[in-house]
Amino acid sequence: MKKLLSAIFGMACTTCALAQEAPTSPLEFSGSVDTYYKYDFAKRPNIPTSFVSDHNSVSLGMLDLVLKKKTGKASFVGEISFGPRGQSQSIPDAAGGGSSFHIQNLYVNYDFSDKFAMTAGYMGTFIGYEVISPVGNFNYSTSYLFTNGPFQNAGIKATYKFSDKVSLMAGLFNDWNLYSATRGVSSIGGQLMISPVEGWTAYINALSGADPYGYGTIVDLTTSYQITKAFKLGLNAANYDMADDAGGYAGVALYPQVAVADAVTLGLRGEYFKTKDVGTVAGTAYTGLTLTANIKSGGLTFIPEVRLDHNGDKPFLNKTGGAAPNAGQFSLAAVYAF
Amino acid sequence: MMKYSLILFFASLSFCAFAQQKQFTLDERGKYVYYEVVDTKTSKDSLVLRAENFIKLNKKSFVKSTLTDSSVTSDGKMIVDKTILVASHPSGEVNYAFNFEARNGKYRYWITDLEYIPYNRDRYGNYVPTTNIATPLEKTPGKLSAGAWKDILESVYTKSEKLGENFKKALLTSQVKTQVKKTESISTRKW
Repeated sequence: MKKLLSAIFGMACTTCALAQEAPTSPLEFSGSVDTYYKYDFAKRPNIPTSFVSDHNSVSLGMLDLVLKKKTGKASFVGEISFGPRGQSQSIPDAAGGGSSFHIQNLYVNYDFSDKFAMTAGYMGTFIGYEVISPVGNFNYSTSYLFTNGPFQNAGIKATYKFSDKVSLMAGLFNDWNLYSATRGVSSIGGQLMISPVEGWTAYINALSGADPYGYGTIVDLTTSYQITKAFKLGLNAANYDMADDAGGYAGVALYPQVAVADAVTLGLRGEYFKTKDVGTVAGTAYTGLTLTANIKSGGLTFIPEVRLDHNGDKPFLNKTGGAAPNAGQFSLAAVYAF
Repeated sequence: MMKYSLILFFASLSFCAFAQQKQFTLDERGKYVYYEVVDTKTSKDSLVLRAENFIKLNKKSFVKSTLTDSSVTSDGKMIVDKTILVASHPSGEVNYAFNFEARNGKYRYWITDLEYIPYNRDRYGNYVPTTNIATPLEKTPGKLSAGAWKDILESVYTKSEKLGENFKKALLTSQVKTQVKKTESISTRKW
């Protein structure tokens, strides 16, 4: 760890000499609000992924507020959210009882040069395709990969931009999803970004150390390619192994999207997710198919969605409360980004 | 009283009729253009030098310049902001072609080939392009996007106006090299 910190500090000092003064930007203020209605075909909450939890209810997502300011080479971002999606459903909760606010991002950044920057604080995770904010996702419901992976990481990271096509990030982090470390700064993570052709970006991510499950290593590929003006394809694949073969998961999700009109885009999410065997206990596999539309008007996005999930081990419930291999839901969401 | 109210009412109506809406004109290709011809007493060579200097000083906004003895062309980028209360954030970027031509006694410049790329907030709270494929500003939006598109056009026009004003100011100013003056120091030993 000492060698890594020394290397990062040395790089920062050498690039300082070549640094140019960066302009000051005004205070940026943005955010979003969202609300939804969901109907589960089994007439009860059934699919165990994040958010969109309430059945047959006009329910709240969150109010998300973001501040950003850059002065010279230094900048900060502060993002805070209120509401079920932004509070108790976005772990950790800042206070007991699920009635507090949640920090989504709280970090400072310093651009030592056009190529090298360091960031420290509490940040949205670099792992995975989907995020907490509904503004950042095409589908309103989330994948199993998102639900079981990290949401945020507190730590310090350094990013070096070799060119517009390649950059590398390395950092030290607390346990996942916690403001304060419970076992010291004990996770190490990295990200390689490559952009082979214009419109195609791929991230290869790795994070190893303390997490809510114990200790483990997650390796993740997140990529998206705007193939034509109308068609975009995204892919997320991840593998998580806990130490001492104590468990883990692996999965893959594909996200094809097609713009069918000026303000209307249709997207499909196909996911396969499997938990790992632990001793004699076999893992279980989920497959899910989600069809979503995004209908935009200015800052408002209206999101109708149908989702069908399957698991042969029958973890779902049917209308009568019996075990079932299938679950389905229909939802309508409205997201306003300002 | 009624007579004066009516006069005031019709006067305000006539002002509205003459009010100009800021909008781009179309060139012979059917592309939006912000075009201006300016009379000047500066020589052609000086104008070209000053135009080139303006592009160099604003290198964050301009990329890829082409220079001849009477013209400068450059590809530029401007950021479109969305204002909320007293603060704002980037909502997109517009790429454009900046053209300048000079003759003795006058010059012209025009901004055209305007294309828009929307931004979205990423997981870290920063605004980044949502796509690499730009949309020409001449594109007729659907009904759902009409309001937002009108705001973008007005914002881009205002920024083009400001760019034009800054450019004209730069062409009025001759290049002056400022020398760094040595700071005078006082000796407390000799007096």
